[in-house]
Formats: sequence, structure tokens, C-alpha cells
Amino acid sequence: MPTIELINVTKTFNEGKVLAVDNISVKIEHGEYVFLIGPTGCGKTTTLRMIAGLEDPTKGKFLIDGKDVKGIPPEDRDMGFIFQHFEIFDHLTIWENVTFGLEMRGYNDNYIIKEAEKALKTVDLLQYADEYPSIFGNPGLQKLGIARAIATGAKILIMDEPLGSLDPKVSKVFRHELRNLVKDLGLTAIHVTHNQEEAMAIADKIIIMRGGKLLQMGSPYELYENPNSIFVANFLGETNFLQGFVLKLLENEEMEIRIRLGGPKLKTHNFGNKFDLDDNIVIAYRFEDVYLFPEDYNFKNSQYDWSQMELFEVILETSRFIGATKRFYLTLDNNEKFISVKPGNFEENFISGKKLIVGIHKDDIHVFKAPDNLLSELSLS
Amino acid sequence: MVNIKLKCIFKKFRNFTALENISLEIKDKEYFIILGPTGAGKTTLLKLIAGLLKPDSGKIFFDEQDVTKKSPGERNIGFMFENYALFPHMNVVENISYSGRVHARDSQTTKSLVEQVLMMTLLTRRDDAYPDELSGGMKQRVALCRSLLNLEQTKLLILDEPLKALDAGLRMSLRRELLLMAKSKELGLTVIHVTNDEREAMMVADRIAVINEGKLIQVGSPHEIYYHPINLFVANFMSEINYFDGICVKNKKLEWDIHSKSKQGDKFFNEIQEESVPMPIDIGFENTFAGYLKESLYNKIQDNDKVLLVVRTNHMKIRLGNRVSEKRNAILGTILRRKFMGVFYRFEILAKVDHKDKVIIVTRSATYEIHNAFLENSEVTVYFPKELGIIFEHPGDEIIREVLKLE
Repeated sequence: MPTIELINVTKTFNEGKVLAVDNISVKIEHGEYVFLIGPTGCGKTTTLRMIAGLEDPTKGKFLIDGKDVKGIPPEDRDMGFIFQHFEIFDHLTIWENVTFGLEMRGYNDNYIIKEAEKALKTVDLLQYADEYPSIFGNPGLQKLGIARAIATGAKILIMDEPLGSLDPKVSKVFRHELRNLVKDLGLTAIHVTHNQEEAMAIADKIIIMRGGKLLQMGSPYELYENPNSIFVANFLGETNFLQGFVLKLLENEEMEIRIRLGGPKLKTHNFGNKFDLDDNIVIAYRFEDVYLFPEDYNFKNSQYDWSQMELFEVILETSRFIGATKRFYLTLDNNEKFISVKPGNFEENFISGKKLIVGIHKDDIHVFKAPDNLLSELSLS
Repeated sequence: MVNIKLKCIFKKFRNFTALENISLEIKDKEYFIILGPTGAGKTTLLKLIAGLLKPDSGKIFFDEQDVTKKSPGERNIGFMFENYALFPHMNVVENISYSGRVHARDSQTTKSLVEQVLMMTLLTRRDDAYPDELSGGMKQRVALCRSLLNLEQTKLLILDEPLKALDAGLRMSLRRELLLMAKSKELGLTVIHVTNDEREAMMVADRIAVINEGKLIQVGSPHEIYYHPINLFVANFMSEINYFDGICVKNKKLEWDIHSKSKQGDKFFNEIQEESVPMPIDIGFENTFAGYLKESLYNKIQDNDKVLLVVRTNHMKIRLGNRVSEKRNAILGTILRRKFMGVFYRFEILAKVDHKDKVIIVTRSATYEIHNAFLENSEVTVYFPKELGIIFEHPGDEIIREVLKLE
């Protein structure tokens, strides 16, 4: 069963003038659904092409199941390819599209029929075997692509924007089906997309790249709960970023911080010894981690334990209903602004212009060293 | 003042009917969204309003004045289309301030306006770049800036997918800026904005017009469209849904009072109940559910008529274990799969409905409780408040399959 390993892999183009991938190490376990994401030009496609065998690394090692695969062509790597533009043969029937690859590999007829039937049944397309691909919308074509890959015994699926040409609505439905299919078949999948939401919805593991470097790697939950940089916090999900500074270093390596001059003081959880007194910092918390209470809320008589919550006053500017969620625009005394997102049927009907209490759990407050230019760190293009 | 009226608009391209009998009114200072899937006719509609296309029949009025035959120039609109149309030989500032020359605005005013829009769209540091040197997202922002500067005459801004090429973060903040600007006292714009993104629509719109296959399906506030969709297409377009086939059992006596208020958030549910009435339906062996339907529909549907019950995935709740007897509109199931999606967890729950396996989708906020306790293979009770169950006349299985794009 295939494990894919890149060890200190670097890829340069134009005789070393262009550094596309800069010393990355990645391990992909058998059966994992992995996403490579990052802004345009981050090196994700080059990395995918190296895994597929379409490019050789300039430096470093590339192993499948512990074996160096340098020089082994893509077709001998047990891989199936699915791209945005399908590469389906329009002039062949669904059945012929699947058997074609098997015939090219010189299998006997019995084997071909058995495998093609099995593959088409798996993706639920067997009843269309004699039709031509033109009867399908894009999801059907992608399923055909998967059938073709598994019929030839592919254990690894290489996918470059496979949902890129789908209508957004259709893609949102099909993404769950795609994940279930890949997981049920026990395939290893490596999928490149520019759509972070798609990655969060499907991935077991996400690799975020930027400027050729690997920025962070982990499960969607790990990356979302513990982003290691402002970039990652901003790239996945919706986050408030506020400038501030370290007010006090407390015991247990906790800190007291302040949101800009005149802003509220907050206590953080343990950040190690990463920060010094008076350090300029960026304070980050997710929209949905901002809890709201009426001004006269009685925290003492509540059934919940609020001791780990950092509480402070804000003014509610406006709120906006957007279906599944409702968005609250909040302003601090010192004019800093941020946002809270709650379920659309959130019971409280707060009034614009009124004071509210904000509560943020200590563990949900992330702190980063202030970059030279926060705006450029937050601009993704 | 800009008050726009479309009356019975038809538009064909050869044999293809792009728009069919569209009548609409867009009020002064309204942020109006035209929402629909790819190929619905959104852009054609926008071009008709802008005067770039002429309807085959029907009339268009701006402030009671018939402009059907008037050219785009005579309609005085700021517009931005998907392909941006930037002048390649001009840099960013020149492209944006070009309209100032056309409108003979004094150069100081133009300069300060240009600075404002550049700041808003985070383009200040690229002000001397030429279109060639910009990314797709940047070009889009420049085009947006330019359309914003065109506005002092009619105060009508027309936007065709203005935020499409942008990254998620920037898109989010620009939506907010667009809305603030449109609503600012100084500008007070009427905006017509085309998009296929339902969340974008709900975020900025005063009213939304949903169109599909050239037809106007529903017009209303985001709240109306979301909680009172007129049919399955609109319900499904606004967010992921579950649906159940059912039979109307109006006269069945339930063990619980169908008119009783749901416990939580009375105010919220009262809003949803406007012009709707509760009705019990049978979704199969021993499962009687209740949902709401339009008052006008209530008398049309008789006992034993087939109906469709739709519940949004985020309106479904779950509890661990078998609590079916304590909850209403409840089914017992097992968590087949779960997936962390960021703000939400998405659960696929296997349940038996009418003796058949059915997968029910539930999305819940990713709280610590959900993360730690609701694991795959757990037995759970799925339920929903009756106010959030939407009942339609049954459209037939073929329509359901087509609308939900199951093939």
C-alpha cells in the first residue's frame, strides 16, 4: 500500500533562476485525502506534478513505499489523473473510455470486462455503459474519470482542480460525493485547488504553501484551531485581526495583552516564551469565537462557567442576516472594529447602537508577532 | 431618484429564449441582487437595463420615463462588467480618473475621490501600474473603482459579478465596503448587482430576485427568500437541504398541539410564521411530522395529497442517544460520516424513513461538545422545530432530481 514521501525536495526552473519549490518535506499516508493549497504561484502545482512524475525534483528525494521512484514514468506509478478538463474521449462510449486504458496495458478480454464492470459499478455509472460521455454533466464526467483510474488499478489519484469547471452550486454538492467515493475505495488522493472552502470540506490533511515553502501541514481541524501564522489564520476561515501589544507577562507563560491604546485588556493562554513585554503583536480571533451578551447579562447566576472567558464592552454597529449565519459588526471604544458570526436563528435580537458584552474564550485568542506590513500579509493575491 | 421598472420583458437569441416575461421594480436607493445559476439569464437582464441590449418586447422605465429605446449613454449609469474593459495604455490612476475627464469634474475633486476608492480596494501601492502588470483580482478592483467614479449623475450602479475573481478574504471585506458605500448618505446609490453566490446575495441585498432558465422565480428580502422559498429550486439554491416525501394528514389528531409555540426564540419563530400555517404530514410508517406552508396553499392541499417537506441542514438538530419520544419531528439515526468544515461540522446520518435507508445531512457549529462527543457510529436523534420545516406541493420525482442535480 503506497505511502508517498518527499524529503527535502527543491525544484528550480530556468537553470536555477526560478525557485518554484523550496526544500519541502511531506509524508502522505496510504488512504489519506490530501490537499495542496496556497495563493497563485506558491508551488502547489509544481509539487503535484513532481508527485505525478511529470517533473523530477532538482534536489531531494521522492519515495513511494520507501522506494526512490526517480526515472519511473507516470504510467508505471499506480496513479490515476483527473484534471479540470477531464481528458475524456468524446467519440468513445462510457464503456470504451474505461476499457481503453486496460487494452493499452495488454490485459486479456475476461480481465478487462471484469475490471471495467467493477469500476463502473463502483461509481454507479454501469447503466450508462453504452452511452457517450456527452450525456453527462461535469460530475458524471469526473466519476467516469475515477472509474477509468481505478479500473487500471490506480491506488493514487492525482487531481488538479477537478471541481474547477463545475457550477459553484453543483460543485458544493459533488464535493461530498467525491470525498465519500475516494474514502470508500481506500484510495490515496492528492488534490490541488484554489478554493479553500473546498479543501476544508474534503481533506483529511491540508498542506499550505506560500512562495515555494511549506507553511503548515495538518488536518483541517489542526490548521483551523492552531494556525501557525497570520497568513494561515487568514487563509482558512474568517478571522478578526487587531493590532496590540504585550502588557504583562504572567505565570504559566500566559500574558496580558491590550488591543491598541485605550482598548480592552485580554488574558491569553500559554504562548511559551515567544513574546516580550511591550512587543507589538497581532491579536487574532475567529468571527464565530466572539460571543455576545446583553449589557445586563448576569454572569454570576448563569449555569455556565465563564471564568475562562475574556469579557469586554463593545458597541453594536449593525447586524446582517445571511442565512445560515448572522453577522454582527462591533466597535470598541478606541474605534477598532471587528465581527462576530452566530447562527442565523441566534435568539438574541440586539439593537444597533447599543452596548453589548463580548466574550472570547482564552483558548480562542491567537497572538502573532506584528509583521512589518499587516495589510500586505492579509492581501492574498 | 432612480426608480426602475421592467414590464413584460422578452429576449431571444436566435432560437434560445434568454428571458421570458420578466416584470420587476427596483426602488430608489435599493441594493438589488439578481441571483441565479450559470446561464440563468442574469447578465442579459443586466445588459437590458444598461441599454447594451434591446428587448424583443416589453418596456423599461427609469423614473416613469420610457428608456427602452435609449442608448447606454443616455441612461447615465456606472457599470462594471465581467471582462473589466480597462484601457491598456493607461495606468491605474488614469484608468480610474478617465470618467472625471468625461464628466468635466474639477481635478481636485477627482483626485480625492480616486484616492478614496484606491484605499478602499487596497490598490494604493499599485497606482502607477498598467493593466498588463496586474493580477485578475487587481484588474477587477480597478474596474470597480472606475465604475464607482462614474456616479454623480444618475446614482445607479450596475455590477456584473464584481467580486468573482477575488480571494475569499478580500471578497468578504469588499462586499461590506460596497454595501457601506451604497448606503452612505453622500452617495445613496441604487445598485443592481448580479451574482451566482447566494451568500454574497444575502449579505448585501435589500431585495433579491432569483432567476433560472430565463424566468423570474421569486423576489423578496433575504429573509423571505431564505425562510419562505417559493419552490424547491429556491430552497435548494440558498443552502444545502434535506427533503422528505410525505402525505398530507391535516385531520390527524396529534398527541401534541401543533399550534403550540416552539420553546426557544419566540420572536424569531413569530417572524417565520408570518403568512404561514402549520400542517401535519406523514412521512412514512408511524412518522408524523409537522411543518409550515403558505396560508394560500393550505386549502389547495387535501388529505392524502403528496407533499414535499424541506429542512435546511443547518436547521436540523442532533442529540446523542434515542430521544425520539421526547422530541417532535424526530428520527433515530447513526452518524455515518462526519467532516470538520471550519465553522461547521457536517454530519451524514443514516436513518430509516418509511422502512428505507435515508441519509440525512446535519450541519452544526463546531463547538467543543460537537467535536468531542458526536463521533462516527454514535446513535443520535435528529429533529427540527416545526417552524423550520417547509412544505411544498409535491413537484414529482423527476423535477426533484433535476433541481437537486442528482445525475
